[in-house]
Amino acid sequence: MSFTEALRLAVRRLRTNRLRTALTALGVIIGVGSLVVLLAIGQGTKDQLTARIAGLGTNLLSITAGSSFTGRVRGAAGTASTLTVGDATAVAAVSGVTAVAPEMPVSNVVVVDGRTNTTTTLTGTTPAEATVRNYQVQYGTFLTQMETDKSLRVAVLGPATVTALGATPATIVGSTVDVSGIPFRVVGVTQPKGGATGFNNPDDFVYAPITAVQTLFTGATTLRSVAVSVSDPTQIPYVSSAITSTLRYRHGLSGSATDDFSLASQDQLLAVAGQQSATLQRFLIGIAAIAMVMGGIGIANTMLVSVRERVHEIGTRKAIGARRRDIGRQFLVEAVIVTLGGALVGIVLGAAATVPVGHAVNVTAVPSLAAIALAFASALVVGVIAGYWPAQQASRLDPVEALRYE
Amino acid sequence: MAAAGSEAAAVSPVAEPGTALMEIENLTRAYRMGEVDVWALRGVSFAIHPGENVAIMGPSGSGKSTLLHLLGLLDRPTSGSYRFAGVETSTLSDDSQARLRNKVIGFVFQSFNLVSGESALENVASPLVYAGVKRRERLDRARVALERVGLGDRLGHDPSQLSGGQRQRVAVARALVTNPPLLLADEPTGNLDSAASADILALLEGLHASGLTVVTITHDVDIAAKAQRVLHIADGLVVGDERARVSA
Repeated sequence: MSFTEALRLAVRRLRTNRLRTALTALGVIIGVGSLVVLLAIGQGTKDQLTARIAGLGTNLLSITAGSSFTGRVRGAAGTASTLTVGDATAVAAVSGVTAVAPEMPVSNVVVVDGRTNTTTTLTGTTPAEATVRNYQVQYGTFLTQMETDKSLRVAVLGPATVTALGATPATIVGSTVDVSGIPFRVVGVTQPKGGATGFNNPDDFVYAPITAVQTLFTGATTLRSVAVSVSDPTQIPYVSSAITSTLRYRHGLSGSATDDFSLASQDQLLAVAGQQSATLQRFLIGIAAIAMVMGGIGIANTMLVSVRERVHEIGTRKAIGARRRDIGRQFLVEAVIVTLGGALVGIVLGAAATVPVGHAVNVTAVPSLAAIALAFASALVVGVIAGYWPAQQASRLDPVEALRYE
Repeated sequence: MAAAGSEAAAVSPVAEPGTALMEIENLTRAYRMGEVDVWALRGVSFAIHPGENVAIMGPSGSGKSTLLHLLGLLDRPTSGSYRFAGVETSTLSDDSQARLRNKVIGFVFQSFNLVSGESALENVASPLVYAGVKRRERLDRARVALERVGLGDRLGHDPSQLSGGQRQRVAVARALVTNPPLLLADEPTGNLDSAASADILALLEGLHASGLTVVTITHDVDIAAKAQRVLHIADGLVVGDERARVSA
């Protein structure tokens, strides 16, 4: 029996059992559909993370204060009071460094604009922040040196924060908002950067002079981190070691003492982000693989039932001249067709669901050709594996036994 | 075949060596039942010549079904020889036996064994699928076979839409479609009422008259009465071989 004949027989058989065929295919539809969606979500998350980190500039280095100890319990990075504005000034003098912005964030501050309010992070910094972090101002101005020197209560808002307050850049600049109850005059709004993920929106912030934040909020002269802009990205390793030496000297660390700060470049951040998204991707593929296996088990089960039901037909076909491989092929082709049919439907549904599902989890997800090809190929493998054993059973039936079977 | 259309040759009392369509010698078949062997056939020998119409009769458990399975190449003997058109079949591979079943034997079963969900035409054409015949030719030949059994107007019907007699006619057409020299029928009227039975018997009779060798396993005395030759089986042995005095 030729392959075309097996195909024709299989299609006819599947048509006469439409409901069963549909239910059998459902497992594969779900498996393939989720594979397409989850791969797209994983890829979208990775792309977004990468874009955000790259958007910060490849010439960025961040210095983070070390962890503080409460008794013997180590706190989070940046909690130690080891980094100061003096350190930032010293780093600015290192050769190859173009700009340095000290940063002291205060999280979960409530910003009130008349009747509306939003919760965001207030970061104390200097005018250099705009250079180092690549901010463009769309309305008003960024922080100025004079404002920083005089510790003025002025603020630059992110566009998402402005939107959250129900205002526009034009209306809010020049007005006064309350930040944790302290009035600040809004002097500027930045251009949107985009690339929001889950809990973190790079356009949602309030910047104020570091001097004002230290006086009004933290009451100390320490910093959480220092953002450093390097003139030539290829020189980052040398600049990094120069900064490390400078800070170790300033902090009085002897040869064997560990750093009480950490230094990370964008490349390192990218590498970490890459690893994390690869882990996420593997996890998502694992979930989809489980769904595929369940689909395959469903197909194997239906095919075994089908062989049982058609023992008499198999006996008859053998009597009229079907060889073992003819019978085996007939059942295998049936299993593969159900799987591939399910895979096609799953791909269409998965591709259609990708964008809305991505939207729901705040990820720009686009179904990729590679994901579709992978889903289709794995469905083919599942179909062949799930169909093989029932097909073998059918082909090995003894014709006499099969004809007698009632 | 030399005997086609020649009744005299078919009923000649002495078979001439080499002209037999089926020659079986000392055929035995044992089934293992736990610790003991049960002998369904205990040494059967006979020859059937081209153009003969033979009924094989015997009570239940006599071994006639086992004999049918062996004659139909669906089973292998424990010992003995079975030559079909001069070819020893017991040593053939499964695939070769399948090919032989396809080309030289047309089966008619008691319960018709049609595949529901497939039209009469598709059912009749199915042996040709395994013979590697192209679809167009298959359907043409199936149509001719169905016309030959008088069902030219039921081509597209599903077996479930046909009466018992019509279903058996479809089965006969399926048996004929590969133009085999032998029609092997297992209780072909067993599931039919008397009118349909008479109908099918007349059909088989007509096919025999056109030169086909017909071997029928039955305990229906009407079939036996119409056969030219009746082989009686009991306890796994041939206990009688009667030939009709007058050919039908």
